[in-house]
Amino acid sequence: MLENFAILPCNGLDKCAGVISGEIAKKLCENDKNEIICPVFYRVADAKYNKIAGEHPLLVIDGCPTRCASKLAAEKNLKISQRILITEEAKYHHIELNSGLRILENEKSLIEIILNGLNKAEAKPTKVSKETKASYNFEYETFQNGKFIFRVPKNPEVFFNENDCWAYVVGNRARIGVTDFVQQNLSDILYFTPPEIGAEIDQFGEVGDIESSKALVELISPVSGKVVSINETLVQKPEMINENPYELGWIAEIELTDFESDKELLIGFDKYFEIMKKKVEASNG
Amino acid sequence: MSETTFMGVERDKIDWKPTIDYSKCDYCMECTKFCPHRVFEVHENEEIKLIVKNPNNCVVFCRACSKICGPDALSFPDKNATTLSIKEIRKEENNA
Repeated sequence: MLENFAILPCNGLDKCAGVISGEIAKKLCENDKNEIICPVFYRVADAKYNKIAGEHPLLVIDGCPTRCASKLAAEKNLKISQRILITEEAKYHHIELNSGLRILENEKSLIEIILNGLNKAEAKPTKVSKETKASYNFEYETFQNGKFIFRVPKNPEVFFNENDCWAYVVGNRARIGVTDFVQQNLSDILYFTPPEIGAEIDQFGEVGDIESSKALVELISPVSGKVVSINETLVQKPEMINENPYELGWIAEIELTDFESDKELLIGFDKYFEIMKKKVEASNG
Repeated sequence: MSETTFMGVERDKIDWKPTIDYSKCDYCMECTKFCPHRVFEVHENEEIKLIVKNPNNCVVFCRACSKICGPDALSFPDKNATTLSIKEIRKEENNA
């Protein structure tokens, strides 16, 4: 049973998915231990809702990928505990939403599925993350731009793609993550969507995303293989990516399927160091 | 000759850019605000108000704008096909 939550829906009134977000929030708040946050009122007078959000874990319900509710949470510096995207849920459950604004049969079914999912979340079987025992000893080369220091690992086992993600390869496994360029560019990272454990990923396929109030970055895997482990601590503490995106802030571990072929399109420290320097200079004008 | 390269291949040889489905786009312009690479351009006074102006500025394999598009109007080429084509171009250039 979802209880003691603060619930922030986008409540968008111009799209069916937005209307559904509001409907779900209202249903959840029929349990009076949950508290609703009205996004409209929050924009103009935030004292009331800052208090509620400070006292409860926050569930954000976005209707569509514009993610107005998530953006509002980021603007108000709220920590999101759980998030739902209605259009994504509809796709996942193969439910087509109507183009109008009314809650009809399909929409009712989706609302029911989402509410059941939320209320049974604790009972959901979770896949076990099997973190490797391998040790990752990073050695860095650094450069400075303005007040910021950028680190790039120089171990020969670390490979990069030009999308600013790294892979530290040990045997048939790789630990992956983003580089300092990504975390500095995003500044305070507020949300991490991990890849699913067991998912088969192609090289350059998506392995989750991270989000700050400034931007959303899709994580692009340098290697192909199966996700065997994710850094679960990041789900609650995504800010660890800002602290160190190579060590505490690693993203996932991949069991490699064809690293010899993947390697063709990866680069080592020398090349990436130069590329990152250029990117940092370009982004700072 | 392209000014930039991606994985050693001239950027303009790589087909990677968003395609706008105008039957879905509602001109909210969130994508233009979101993308820091100025891939999109707004034409406020024209019938088609949004175009992909600088396709080669688009970061190869990045599809983040499509993830923030409310009406789901942006699509990208298949990643595997693009990866294969990059490998092919590199092979041809190495053999040349």
